[in-house]
Amino acid sequence: MAKKQAKGTLVSVSVMGDDRPGIVAGVSKVLYENACNIEALSQTVIMGQFAMIVVVAPLKGSKAEALKKALDELGREVSLEIQVRLLNPEERLGFDPGEAEPFVITVRGQDRPGLVYAITAILAEQGINITRLGAEVVPVDRQLEYIQIYEVDIPRHLDCALIQRALRDRGEEIGVTVDMQHRDIFRAINQI
Amino acid sequence: MLSSEEIIRTIEMLKNENLDVRTVTLGISLRDCVSSSATELCTRIRSKIKRIAGGMVAVCDTISNKYGIPIVNKRLAVTPIAAVAEALQREEYVVVARTLDEAAQEVGVNFIGGYSALVQKGFTRGDRHLIATLPEVLSATRHICASINVASTKAGINMDAVLLMGQAVKEISLATAREDGFGCAKLCVFANMPEDNPFMAGAYLGYGEPESVINVGVSGPGVVKKELERALQSGKRLTLGDLSEIIKKTSFRVTRVGELIAREVAERLGVSFGIVDLSLAPTPTVGDSVGEILQCLGLTSIGVPGSTAALALLNDAVKKGGAFASSSVGGLSGAFIPVSEDLNLSEAVGSGHLSLEKLEAMTAVCSVGLDMIAIPGKVDASTIAAIIADEMAIGVFNHKTTAVRLIPVPGKDVGDKAVFGGLFGEAHIVEVRNIACSSAFMGFGGRIPAPITSIRN
Repeated sequence: MAKKQAKGTLVSVSVMGDDRPGIVAGVSKVLYENACNIEALSQTVIMGQFAMIVVVAPLKGSKAEALKKALDELGREVSLEIQVRLLNPEERLGFDPGEAEPFVITVRGQDRPGLVYAITAILAEQGINITRLGAEVVPVDRQLEYIQIYEVDIPRHLDCALIQRALRDRGEEIGVTVDMQHRDIFRAINQI
Repeated sequence: MLSSEEIIRTIEMLKNENLDVRTVTLGISLRDCVSSSATELCTRIRSKIKRIAGGMVAVCDTISNKYGIPIVNKRLAVTPIAAVAEALQREEYVVVARTLDEAAQEVGVNFIGGYSALVQKGFTRGDRHLIATLPEVLSATRHICASINVASTKAGINMDAVLLMGQAVKEISLATAREDGFGCAKLCVFANMPEDNPFMAGAYLGYGEPESVINVGVSGPGVVKKELERALQSGKRLTLGDLSEIIKKTSFRVTRVGELIAREVAERLGVSFGIVDLSLAPTPTVGDSVGEILQCLGLTSIGVPGSTAALALLNDAVKKGGAFASSSVGGLSGAFIPVSEDLNLSEAVGSGHLSLEKLEAMTAVCSVGLDMIAIPGKVDASTIAAIIADEMAIGVFNHKTTAVRLIPVPGKDVGDKAVFGGLFGEAHIVEVRNIACSSAFMGFGGRIPAPITSIRN
């Protein structure tokens, strides 16, 4: 963590484009040269597409305009979409689900359009926040299976059994298996 | 953070490999129910069981849903009835048994263990009454399981009790002849009976246990087998040391599930958490078999030369993984080889690979003993007692628990099949050689003294 932040301001920088070596180096070079300290970073690659979100704290002497200009230039030079956004204090707090329990929802079966919507519509109706979402095709018992994994926070005042039933029923309607299990079972089995 | 791999692997274990919690067993002390009036005793027992266990099934179902892990059986274990009903007359024991049976039915559990007596050094009046009523109780009730401890490393083997149990097994078999002697499946004869075993038929609440306690038995032969298969298919050159390591890690995972469930059930019921029994308990389902694990380890069938060594490796690896996963390991904790409950074992008997003698040898290195073995109905009480004596000797002299659950099947012989249904499965009748050759030895009675290795203080 850097010592002197300019009034606690944070800036989010999101980067997208074709994956190749040198993207992170290019972006971090500009951040360094513009006196920004990286506070948090997440990066992934899906089907050759690079995506990264970096939250930075501008240090003393850092100029927002100069940073934006330098990143725009980099984006043009190497064909990357780079967005820069100032974060206001409320945004930085994130969504607060209140008293909640962490659950994992898994959806398994044949891939088809509308799967994510079918599941997330139920979650949205109930005000359940998704903290992590991924989908992939994996080998299960020597067959390829499509699987979606949602990590969610279920507020304590909701009835888990009802949500489980709603998800399971929706899964049956659309021909996939949906399970919702407390995260601790995965931790118990896999982690020391 | 959880990785996708961890989540997918867990789902596979639960969905395709029969990972489950085999039993959640609630131990309830009945010591405060004691009375010299049978009516009073029964009223107290019924009210206490309802009070402590009334919400158990609902709690287990809620937790099972929360974690997406099946809890196959919910059961009760109580203080040995021989002690609780000590002041009663013989015929009143049957009344107490009916009360227990009804109470189990009312709270929705499938078995209640504790129709038990510990007679390794001798009998009290109550012990004798309890043993005498076993045929009637096990034929007239549905939910009651009985266990008699006839031997211990400290006390030796009570051969009078062993003979009595030979006779009891025979009588129970005849009393339940229409169900292929099924009554005998609800009776275990033990050496070094554990006080916190959650598995039936041997579960009871020991004298050193708390007022009420949750003990959990997990299972997972299917998971172990799949892990071994996966490793073997990877094409890497593996030694038995490597395979042992795989079993150990799998046992760790399975045990962690048990502890998670046990602690939460105990907390919600407001009772103590006792132990996790990390036994590999097979079921008659294909893929959920200890025999199949031995086949994975390269043996044509369980029972062929090498089986005892392979089982020793399996049993030891299971214990090591489990002991790392939980500091509260108890009960039997090992690999079970119940013949009728493990389809692969039952078939091994049918194909002639597995004999009674080999089963006995294997019990020297695994949990728990000669278990769920259907034998010809013609075998006499004294021979059954002698088989029990041999198995007790293995336990007593090796400082371990052993048990016998033999089922003489009336009217059936080698080549026939006994059918018990459900988790109890079905079994080819095992040949018993040298019938009626041990009666003079058994006739001596008395006690086989404790081994010299028992003097450790």
